[in-house]
Amino acid sequence: MIDIYLFPFVLLLLFIYALFKKIPLYSSFIEGAKQALKMVVKTFPYLFAMFILVELMRASSIIAWISKIASPLFNALGVPPEVTELVLFLPLSGNGSIAILKEIYTNFGTDSYISICASVIMGCSDTVFYISSVYFSSTSVKKLGYTIPLSLFICFIGAVIGCFITRLIYHF
Amino acid sequence: MDIIFTLLFMSSIILLFFTNPSMTLPALVSGGSKAVNLSLELCAIMAVWLGIMQMVEKTGLTEKLARLMRPLIRKIFGKVSDKAEMYITANLSANMLGLGSAATPMGIKAMQELDDGSGKATRAMIMLIVINSTSIGILPTTEMGLMTAAGSNNAGIIIIPTLIATFISAFIGIVLVNTIEKFKLKKSGEKAKEKHKNKTMQNTINDKKCKKTLTNKTESISND
Repeated sequence: MIDIYLFPFVLLLLFIYALFKKIPLYSSFIEGAKQALKMVVKTFPYLFAMFILVELMRASSIIAWISKIASPLFNALGVPPEVTELVLFLPLSGNGSIAILKEIYTNFGTDSYISICASVIMGCSDTVFYISSVYFSSTSVKKLGYTIPLSLFICFIGAVIGCFITRLIYHF
Repeated sequence: MDIIFTLLFMSSIILLFFTNPSMTLPALVSGGSKAVNLSLELCAIMAVWLGIMQMVEKTGLTEKLARLMRPLIRKIFGKVSDKAEMYITANLSANMLGLGSAATPMGIKAMQELDDGSGKATRAMIMLIVINSTSIGILPTTEMGLMTAAGSNNAGIIIIPTLIATFISAFIGIVLVNTIEKFKLKKSGEKAKEKHKNKTMQNTINDKKCKKTLTNKTESISND
């Protein structure tokens, strides 16, 4: 009940405080919009490259193939084969992962071990390629170094830990 | 990024050629239009949040918050500029509160401030991306919403595992970045030591040559 008032309340306080400090509201929003436009123009090429890759991967179902190969290794570390596809696809696309998540809910029921595992995995990792390309887009950086491999590794570790804890709680 | 992209791209295109070649162009174009749609949505969301942040920045609130979080940020990110600290704090706070749409523009601004112009990703930049990749937050509201929408009555069960998994993986990420950076420093430190040794050796050789020519000259002068 409280949550629908909390956020607007905080915003209201912020605006009143700003007024009190005589900060112009109108020009702040204009300035913000100008910055947003510049940002979006810079990030679009990177988003574009990412999305064409993701669409190609989806159309070719290559993730299903990679899942088959990766499944045994994942399973050995406690990540059930049914969520392997999610773990592999999450770094690529948020919307695609949500679609996979919904499918898991339909196929396994929302209270099953698999579904809870999937939700936890979803909540402890994020779209590495999107974040990486968007965040670097406004910088002069051309060499990303170990950023992406490390982030992917961390997402995977998160999945392993998440599944492990879910298993503990589920068999409680 | 290029290697990963090329690998995945070529594998998908080849696979698609054998399974469903007529979808090749539609897939590419649909990717393009999704990028355009997302950019438009992002433009709107970013404009709202950047506008609010402009205002909040001018009130000095973000600076105060950043000062509170400074010791923690210094430890994790190392020494970064004041503005960078401010934006990093904003990005992490937005993530904590589940405001992903606010976190993105703040993260971008933070990266801009962290840019040292060398074209290489700095430790602080990598750290920021790794922490963002763990989608660190207090409550997994998106996932709980999805579960409830799919009919679950017990979505709260995912809170604890998600929190634990997120924080542990973020912690491991921070430790790994620091380890790798220390290792890199050590390696470049050894290289620098080698260079310095060679330079000092060269200097001593030059000094000896100098002395020799000086003594030769003084000898020839005294001989005159």
